[in-house]
Amino acid sequence: MELIQRQTSLSANIVAFCRFLRQKGYTIGPQEEADALRALEELAPFGSPESLQLCLKAILARTLPQQMLFDGLYTQYWRELEKAVNAKVKEGAPEKKPTGRQQQQQPRVQSIKTWLQGSQAEETEEMAAYSTHEAIGRKDFSSFREDNLWEATRLIHRIARSLALRQSRRRKRSSRPIQLDLRRTLRLNMRRGGEIMDLAYYEPAENKQQIVLLCDVSKSMDLYSRFLIQFVYAFQKAYRRIETFVFSTSLYRVTSQLRQRDFSIALNELADAVPGWSGGTKIGESLHEFCASYAGKLLNNRTVVIIMSDGWDTGNTELLSESMRIIQSRSAKVIWLNPLAGSSGYEPNTLGLQAAMPHIDIFAPAHNVESLRELYRYLR
Amino acid sequence: MIQNEGLERIQKMLREQGYITEPSIVMSVFLAMQLRKPLLIEGPAGVGKTEIAKVMATALQTDLIRLQCYEGLDATHALYEWNYQQQLLHLKMAEDTGRTLEEKERDIFSEKFLLKRPLLQAITHDKPPVLLIDEIDRADEEFESFLLEVLSDWQISIPEIGTVRATHIPQVIVTSNRVRELSEALRRRCLYLWIEYPDFEKELSIVRSKVPGIDDRLGEQICLFMQEVRKMRLEKTPGIAETLDWAMALSALHISHLDKELVESTLGIILKDWQDIRHTQDSLSELFEKVGAISKLDSL
Repeated sequence: MELIQRQTSLSANIVAFCRFLRQKGYTIGPQEEADALRALEELAPFGSPESLQLCLKAILARTLPQQMLFDGLYTQYWRELEKAVNAKVKEGAPEKKPTGRQQQQQPRVQSIKTWLQGSQAEETEEMAAYSTHEAIGRKDFSSFREDNLWEATRLIHRIARSLALRQSRRRKRSSRPIQLDLRRTLRLNMRRGGEIMDLAYYEPAENKQQIVLLCDVSKSMDLYSRFLIQFVYAFQKAYRRIETFVFSTSLYRVTSQLRQRDFSIALNELADAVPGWSGGTKIGESLHEFCASYAGKLLNNRTVVIIMSDGWDTGNTELLSESMRIIQSRSAKVIWLNPLAGSSGYEPNTLGLQAAMPHIDIFAPAHNVESLRELYRYLR
Repeated sequence: MIQNEGLERIQKMLREQGYITEPSIVMSVFLAMQLRKPLLIEGPAGVGKTEIAKVMATALQTDLIRLQCYEGLDATHALYEWNYQQQLLHLKMAEDTGRTLEEKERDIFSEKFLLKRPLLQAITHDKPPVLLIDEIDRADEEFESFLLEVLSDWQISIPEIGTVRATHIPQVIVTSNRVRELSEALRRRCLYLWIEYPDFEKELSIVRSKVPGIDDRLGEQICLFMQEVRKMRLEKTPGIAETLDWAMALSALHISHLDKELVESTLGIILKDWQDIRHTQDSLSELFEKVGAISKLDSL
């Protein structure tokens, strides 16, 4: 009897299950619900509960994390549903039983109902915490073990790509027959009285967008140094057209040192090239030096400047403000990443940062993998 | 375990083509065919994503049309293009035939001068083909949205000819290596399948079916070794293709078991990055210990 009841209500349960998943952050609309029901029709008669699970999984889970979480959610849902159904069946014959019992049951069903529907805020938080990478995601880079850098590196790779890969809409001449350049073909053959003999082609021009990375390696950034180096190295590896500088009290160009295939060799060369690790910070002076020596050559309206610093400055803030103004006016975009911004008790009102703030296009925390992921989403 | 006629048919079909499969793959392929939806397959390189499309095409006795995506892929390479050279040549030859301008125009904008690219080919095919859109994550986002349009309307408009409607809706397989995240819109249009590296048993049966003459012990050792290698942090983790290459090579040398020297000298077959090779060589004894320990356990 109970079985029959459950079979006929299978489709209703599927719809309820879809709603349950939706609260867990799955993107499921009417289309997906309809697909699921149609799939069940195709699949009937069911041989095994496993095939039902596989079928729903194939239709409803659309990303890797969703797919990973699906089985857990699935068992959770049906287990709770079973409890609810059992409770209801008992509830169904209340006449013979004292009402006291029913009252006892009521809250239980209610609690399951609320559990199934959930409160929105709670669910989304739970979803985020479930994420497979979450253990790394929340962890601050200051307490970062080397293995975890793997995930961060992959993410940096994606960020670098998304900054870099905006294919140019412009075209350039090509000798390969890729796409016929009609205008130039006509021009070219005009001198032959319109007799078309030579064909001209074009191909999309390469994107000349350049990234300049300025990285603070002073004492206050010490905790993050390992991450910083990894960040800089990963960026350089992901994108060829990049210039990298580090600064503490003065500025060092480290592009060539980082252009090593092997990370440990790169580290050694870097240590040799930069004497001022973990010194004081003179952002203003360092950036001024950048403006004076490199800005003219490196900056243009296709350059993205990324500055990694906490903004703690012992130098000249006026100089900082002026240098930032110059940098911003000469580049396409200025991104300031702050590894301290995520830590509790941090306020962005260090003098240096205040001075620089008006000349920053994007200000973002970069203290853990989650913040990098955020940045990636933003840049996309 | 699976007791549905349709599912069994698919499983049989895949097995007959030599594709060793698992229930989730069978289910996804079945649903994609039944619901006539594109199937988006993600997973690391070398787990047999592309292979599914090939196997499906052979099993359904239809053609496989492949669109390989790359950076900067645009509509002219995916849809159609006019064959300019031939058009010009044709005009030149038609110069003294006294045909009118309208006639000439009609001539050169006819199907004869149309170069059909994969998407147009797929929808004008005389029999519903399998359309493989390979490595969609390599193409840029603009192309992705363009693709969405084609996948939902199944028609392509060519200004000079008019709208070409699909004679048959092809079975679409989209693969991605997760170089970049795909758009939500594309995901929602497709069924999703994630394929992981095969576990030991699956890999062993793949090796046995593709390299029939292989020594039992060698096959097991190779697969155990590969399982361990994949746990290492490598630049390029070897896939099934590498396992098969290795198995074939060793089998051709009539070798019956792995030893350190042999692995060291043939590592280039499974690892394609010198750093990976160096790291693996450094930890070879450790790896062997694991492989040895496990196979001893098995024999107990």
